[in-house]
Amino acid sequence: MSSEEEILKRFAAIEQAREFYIIGKKVSRVDALDAVLGRPMYTGDLVTGDFLFVKAVRSPYAHALIKGIDISRALKQRGIEAVITHRDIPGENDAGSLIPDRPLLAVDKVRHYGEAVALVVGSGIETVEEAIRLVDVEYEPLPVVKDPFEAMKPDAPRIQNRDNIVTHFKIRKGNIEEGFSKADIIVENTYKTQFMDGLPLETEVAYAFPEKDGRITCISSMQNPFDVYNKVVKILGVGPEDVRVIQAATGGGFGPKSDETPIDIAAYACLAVKKTGKPAFAVFTREEATTVQSKRHAFTIRHKTGATRDGKLVAWKSELVADTGAYISKGHLVIARATFHCTGPYEVPHVWADGYCVLTNNTIAGSTRGFGAPQAHFAAELQMDALAKKLGIDPVEIRARNILRPGSLTATSQRIDDAGLEICFGKVVETARWHQKRREYEELNRTSSRIKKGIGIALLYHGNTLGPEGEDFATVHVRIEEDGSVVVQTGLTEYGTGALTSLVIIVAEILGIPASWVRMERPDTSAVTSSGPTVASRTTVIGGRAAADAATQLRGRLAEVAAGLLGCSPDELVFKDGVVSVGGDRRRGIGFRELVSEASRRGVELRVRGYYIAPPTRWDPETGQGAPYNQYTFGALVSEVEVDTETGLVVVKRMTAAYDAGRVINPLGLLAVIEGGSIQGLGHALTEEIIHENGVVVNPSLHGYIIPTASEAPEWIEPIAVESPGRIGAFGAKAMGEIPVVLPMASIANAVAHAIGVFIRETPLKPERVLKAIREAERKER
Amino acid sequence: MPRKKRVDRRKPRAKAAPPTAQLAKINVKVNGVQYSAEVEPRMLLVHFIRDVLGLTGTHVGCDTGNCGACTVIMDGKSVKSCNIFAVQADGAEILTVEGLARDGELHPVQQAFWEHHGLQCGFCTPGMLMQAYWLLTQNPSPTEEDVRRGLSGNLCRCTGYQKIVEAVLAAAEQMRGQQQEVR
Repeated sequence: MSSEEEILKRFAAIEQAREFYIIGKKVSRVDALDAVLGRPMYTGDLVTGDFLFVKAVRSPYAHALIKGIDISRALKQRGIEAVITHRDIPGENDAGSLIPDRPLLAVDKVRHYGEAVALVVGSGIETVEEAIRLVDVEYEPLPVVKDPFEAMKPDAPRIQNRDNIVTHFKIRKGNIEEGFSKADIIVENTYKTQFMDGLPLETEVAYAFPEKDGRITCISSMQNPFDVYNKVVKILGVGPEDVRVIQAATGGGFGPKSDETPIDIAAYACLAVKKTGKPAFAVFTREEATTVQSKRHAFTIRHKTGATRDGKLVAWKSELVADTGAYISKGHLVIARATFHCTGPYEVPHVWADGYCVLTNNTIAGSTRGFGAPQAHFAAELQMDALAKKLGIDPVEIRARNILRPGSLTATSQRIDDAGLEICFGKVVETARWHQKRREYEELNRTSSRIKKGIGIALLYHGNTLGPEGEDFATVHVRIEEDGSVVVQTGLTEYGTGALTSLVIIVAEILGIPASWVRMERPDTSAVTSSGPTVASRTTVIGGRAAADAATQLRGRLAEVAAGLLGCSPDELVFKDGVVSVGGDRRRGIGFRELVSEASRRGVELRVRGYYIAPPTRWDPETGQGAPYNQYTFGALVSEVEVDTETGLVVVKRMTAAYDAGRVINPLGLLAVIEGGSIQGLGHALTEEIIHENGVVVNPSLHGYIIPTASEAPEWIEPIAVESPGRIGAFGAKAMGEIPVVLPMASIANAVAHAIGVFIRETPLKPERVLKAIREAERKER
Repeated sequence: MPRKKRVDRRKPRAKAAPPTAQLAKINVKVNGVQYSAEVEPRMLLVHFIRDVLGLTGTHVGCDTGNCGACTVIMDGKSVKSCNIFAVQADGAEILTVEGLARDGELHPVQQAFWEHHGLQCGFCTPGMLMQAYWLLTQNPSPTEEDVRRGLSGNLCRCTGYQKIVEAVLAAAEQMRGQQQEVR
């Protein structure tokens, strides 16, 4: 057997193992200790010595021509070293994270409120802020395109030099007319979701400094160091070896830190260094971050759904319109994901869907945890409850008749091959005591006049990792030091999800050593090769495969040495508890560290690069039909609420959440993302809303944009992990990072409808909106 | 005997004061160390702690007093250090996250956050720890509701608070145990 075959065989055996040594056991986050000690780890903590501040001059208009920029008054200020406009960019003036439609600094037009027009560089933040007011920009305001339906009209002003409709994404399954002809009932509704901010608690921040050899090093807070690096190299117009980007500890990601603003902030700092030769520091205020950070798309979704008398779905027609703001960012991909998932996790024989991603003069929408899925599921799940109500059956009943089971075909006619959804669904219904609570609350609501209680359910499926959104690969570098400690380094990043801890666990599992012997090194573009973006919940799933590949290669090399020493064949060896032994017999074994030192002495190379690329996914762009994703995560969420019918205030009392994680690699991390995503989703459902007035963001602060506190969080979130292994993920793992944020809007809205007897089809469910719905329902009753 | 340390020169991050601005001299004890410095009157306490003293565990998350990442203890009270001028801290005694651990041993609150996974990205953690510390000095036997209300001035975007609340309750139990041992 060749050593490659040997590795493949061993890998297959490890992957199919039923019992694990470390996987699924509790392992603390690798860098948690630094955080509780308050050690310097974030970008702003690492700044030392003399440095300059750099800050952007931002547009007060949502749409305007730039007639002139006069920097002379600002330049004369004491302490100001440079004012940079688009003319001073040495390379390309392009900061679009994926599509080159967005200049770093505006040229002849601003297209959204807060767009950067110039950079001011100087000593002291107050000096710079004062000089910003002295940069004279002459604007000629243009009509503001405030909403996507306005933008879609043929005579609407164009935001960019292109059609305002960026993408028209289609699904055509079966024959929609025929489908509706079989329907006994048809339900038609329009749903609206709001702009939201992922809102990582640490704002965008970058610190750049010149090295002695002329290279510029940039330390920053981000999800994708290579995206930032590639853009900064182009903007500076330098060679690839002239820039180095290091990710510092990052205080939250949630999508915005994978998009536009991490490129901007790093480019600001690097341009200032390039211009002045001195170290430079750039940081967004909360107001800036909330204004220009890429948002969750506001969606308008129109659904027409037909079902038979016994509750079987027969036809579903949808139109989805996403407002992507002034630049595309990832909007064309978000609309694809939303449209793919627009019928929810149900089998529908006839589907017709049109998804439009549209430019407006609102601030940019791009990646936000969930990537179009929360909006799609909100509309689909409310639609299911509306159908149930019309048919006079329980919401659980209509779901049971239509969910995706093994053998079911999705809206794109992709065959589902595991029972993850059925299991999650069954578990939440049972654990939450759905039927009993449903009856109890209805009973109670008949007598209680002020406080009404409700229970609601929502289900999801989530196409895993990038699928249609890009090349789904990862590289992970692993080396074993002579003392036996193992070092893992990758371009994938940690920003709070615990996903890199999963890579540590996978490496430790395969090498049979305690997780504490493995350490992570910070992502550094000069030390590792690109590992693709840290997005789409793909670190454990795809990165885990690359980590497993690296660890398996190392294990193969060590096994050869151990087999020689112990007089056995390599595949008889067991790696466990830091000992490599013949068949697990520790008397015929050698300590892992001893083995490493022996292998090093023999000159065995113990430094490898692991790689994995997911199989390409295929679908027809004209019909959407095919298999856009390699595997699906499933989930179910039951929410219980109390609604104060005099104030309209909604309180979420309890959530029961079951997610099919495929294989739980890192249980603590999994529970953490379930709880955290549930609360972030609760904020989306009840309070969070970025408000544009004529394109201007009027609430860019934490007192205007309300996220949940410990008091708003429910008394209990019951997390249930289901393991129905996926086809491609490491050890069967499925994507989990984003998933828990998808369902709360839908589940809470259905619970509120149960409590007050009327559906609210627009989020957030803020008190005035809830109150209005209650009053309208009362008027109708009279 | 606390060490004495003098800080005479402000780091350049602090703005070069306009010629008319008077620098104010302040004496502050931080984590048991006495500091004396001349500060620009507009300087916020959080910037004094981070930029002048170099204690970067105290974070800034919002500029508006909402997020609580900058929470420190000043004269026994929990304060948001972005809402206080450095000059207001003249003569005060301050505790920051760096002062919680003693002699290389984690404070029970820190230990509990670590063990109960009370953090994810870690950015809100120092402020959360200080608020939890203060809460437990005020109320050594809090209910879950007390803890939730007591932490509601500190925002966390990652965790959903459940593990944080668990950690604070566990720390409370641990600290009550220690108290009894002392008696």
